[in-house]
Amino acid sequence: MWLTIYYIFCYLVFAYTILLIVGYVWLVFMSRLAQKQLDINLPDDDTIKYLMQGSPLTPAVSIIAPAYNEEVTIIDSVNSIMQIDYPDYEIIIVNDESTDRTMELLIEEYKLVEVPYDIAMRVQSKPIKRVLKSTDERYSKLIVVDKVHGGRKADGSNAGINVCSNKYFVCTDVDCIIEPMALYRMMWFVINSHKPMIGVGATMLMSNGCIVEDGKVAEAHVPNTIIPMFQQLEYLRSFLISKLGWSRINALPNISGGFGLFDTDVAVKSGGYDPMSMAEDVDMLLRMVTYMKNSGQDFQLALVPKVCCWTEGPGSLKQLVRQRTRWARGLFEIVSNHRKLFFNPHYGPIGALTLPYLFLFEFIAPLFEIVGFLFMIWLTLTGGVNWSAAFIIFGMIYIFSVFISFFVLYFDYKLKAVNWKHTKSSYLKLMIATLLEPFIYHPIITYCSNVGYWRFIANTTAVWTPIQRKGVKKR
Amino acid sequence: MGTISFIKYYISLFMAYCKFLFTFVIYKFADYPNEIKFAAFVSALCIMIIIVMQISILWMSWLQKRKRRLRERIEKKFGKGMEYIVSSEASEIMSEKEIQKVFELDDEDLEGPLLKTNREKRMFVEVFYLYFISKRSELSHTENTHTMLYMFNIPEYLEKEVSLGSMKHKVNALSYMRTLKLSISPWVINKLLNSRYMRVKRLAMYSNIMSSSDSALDYFETDFFDNNCCIKDEIELGFSLQRRRKMGLKLPNLARWAHIQNNEKTQCMFVRLMRRFNEIEYCGQLKDLYNQTKKKKLIEEISRTWGYLHYVECEDLLIEALLTQPDDTKVAIMHAMTRLATGKSMNALLDGFKNTTNPHVRYEALRCIYNYGPEGRAMFEELEKNASDADKKFFSFFHNPITLEKIRLDKEQAYHPSVETVFNG
Repeated sequence: MWLTIYYIFCYLVFAYTILLIVGYVWLVFMSRLAQKQLDINLPDDDTIKYLMQGSPLTPAVSIIAPAYNEEVTIIDSVNSIMQIDYPDYEIIIVNDESTDRTMELLIEEYKLVEVPYDIAMRVQSKPIKRVLKSTDERYSKLIVVDKVHGGRKADGSNAGINVCSNKYFVCTDVDCIIEPMALYRMMWFVINSHKPMIGVGATMLMSNGCIVEDGKVAEAHVPNTIIPMFQQLEYLRSFLISKLGWSRINALPNISGGFGLFDTDVAVKSGGYDPMSMAEDVDMLLRMVTYMKNSGQDFQLALVPKVCCWTEGPGSLKQLVRQRTRWARGLFEIVSNHRKLFFNPHYGPIGALTLPYLFLFEFIAPLFEIVGFLFMIWLTLTGGVNWSAAFIIFGMIYIFSVFISFFVLYFDYKLKAVNWKHTKSSYLKLMIATLLEPFIYHPIITYCSNVGYWRFIANTTAVWTPIQRKGVKKR
Repeated sequence: MGTISFIKYYISLFMAYCKFLFTFVIYKFADYPNEIKFAAFVSALCIMIIIVMQISILWMSWLQKRKRRLRERIEKKFGKGMEYIVSSEASEIMSEKEIQKVFELDDEDLEGPLLKTNREKRMFVEVFYLYFISKRSELSHTENTHTMLYMFNIPEYLEKEVSLGSMKHKVNALSYMRTLKLSISPWVINKLLNSRYMRVKRLAMYSNIMSSSDSALDYFETDFFDNNCCIKDEIELGFSLQRRRKMGLKLPNLARWAHIQNNEKTQCMFVRLMRRFNEIEYCGQLKDLYNQTKKKKLIEEISRTWGYLHYVECEDLLIEALLTQPDDTKVAIMHAMTRLATGKSMNALLDGFKNTTNPHVRYEALRCIYNYGPEGRAMFEELEKNASDADKKFFSFFHNPITLEKIRLDKEQAYHPSVETVFNG
């Protein structure tokens, strides 16, 4: 009987591997098609600007950036957001009752004064204490909202949604560095869409190692330290293969909380961000999809890989483990809270394809890996391993993972998503990271995922600890 | 060794390697179980694709370098002349000789073609297009641009691209021709109107609107916009109609087009275009639509249009609608009344303020009363004197210098500019 179980398990793992390979190949194929479509549909920046700048039909956008205890970087960050080139936008900085001098610095720098306000609380957030605007004409686009401490970014974002007056809003982190042309490129997809566009995503990348000048990334370098370098590769793979591939069939599962554009009306009707969620961005998008499908409306989701948002990622192993454990917990939350969407064709390709994929290959994979690892140890101890066969299968998995990562580098080069400085050395670094990743980085992520799942099951209190930022290099 | 034989040599080398790899996999793993054979085959395939990708990265990098060098060469050689042509200095019509002088060209240069290959021509257009859309002065004369382009044989090249190029090249060439205001031959447009690519077909239709001497929307079937309309279409349509008007051609009856559409979004688009192009003569035709429709957005757009175009004959209809329409629509109606400001609808606005509990509508009604000339201002002051505690917060907006700026109805002007704003821009 044990032998039968052993064979069943072995064939199950093999079938799972084959399915995973097929899934990846299909995503690579879809992302290639999406890239081809982008080549035709996305003109150069000057053309986009020429058509949209003077048009009265260019939709207005609100940029929402919650801030908590950011006194070190707040002025630089707000100045960086103000560099954005777009004809009609407002910036809403939400101060989550910072205990440091964040608010004072904002008031001093931008000559802010309190203005009367009458805001309908369209989505759930802690009460707003005051709304401030600048007396200086140069900062007329800036609105600062001072609210009661909510403790989560989602609460701050919701307060921003309540204040925003435009049809579209962008949610970002205050420390993110955004490309000046980002809004133009994202809104280009909105104005070209025949269906209501409810969300547009961008590519998130590591700012560790980049050189910043006047709030803009002047030189994009691949991080020099090993942990951010692996994350850079992982982010590129996630955005340029996975998300771009899914966006081709209008089944984008996630628009990053770091930089994403949403339809305000749909976001409000679906309840905004959930302040208790550990994966509030995925959660909100899935609720928006549920709302649209349940109300019988068609919709469109898009990813624009040519829009880069730079954010500082965890620089040390400890921070990485903390972040990834939180993400794994968030994934478990999503799987349990939105279970009715999984394998449900009523919710379109997201319900029928993306979420099953997410469940089978992202949620279950770490569990499979850990079981497989323990099984391998047991087989080694009992002498049941056919080493030559094991070596060939392991070689296939390794070569395939390297192949996927190389494909990302190829796409990155073709799409010109990132204007890397010193291209050769950057690519060389990423290629080395590609070869080493399965041995060094992947086991850490698998470990974190399992710890995160365990914490969710054990129902331990979730503590959100912000990443300790070192800041970026400035010229 | 020539480039082609060099490439051929490396392709044959690579093919030999592939053959070796697959033969190795087949013979080496012949006795193994199927799973192992499969794993070995996948590995070999992945290795080959990795090699192909690496080679193509090198190839792309070489192509980019070549393109960059060509661009630099074109900019160095013709950049100064291009900048002059789009600057305010070129406000007078220039002769071919003068343009030749600006570009520092000798008579010998003009004996043969100035740009020899299609690659050079494509780059020349790309570079000039950038100068045209980013640096062009309003004072520069379009005639000079055209003389210069004909001198370099660019229109001929673009027409060839439009008819024979790939879909991407077709779209690019058409966009260049439209932006550079080059005339497009009717036979080229007719050919493109039958294209199987919707994108090309649509661009051709918009190009046709620009110059067709018939009714501008003749080529469109009635349901074309119902099925395929997005904001970009409205921008393109606006751009084409604007160009048509500049050429002195008549605009189509946009009110009729609003009538025959089924989709609310499309109907709104045509009403907005009417507003944009100051088509006051067709305003009366919208009355039937206004009375018949139950579509909220359409009622809002028609009300706005009447307000902007100062169509005072509709005021009774607006006053009537204010009593029956839902809150969202009321705001647009009140704004229209304020723009008309004939004095007839003052009481209706006051009712609009008093008869609702919706704070947004109350605030907007107050805003309209405030902007309704001297009698509105007097009414506003009276309302302020008798305001309840709950209403006082609305009035505080009118006393703060920062929020007061938003009280005026100018902000909306930016989204829906009058025809003067469009043409001056």
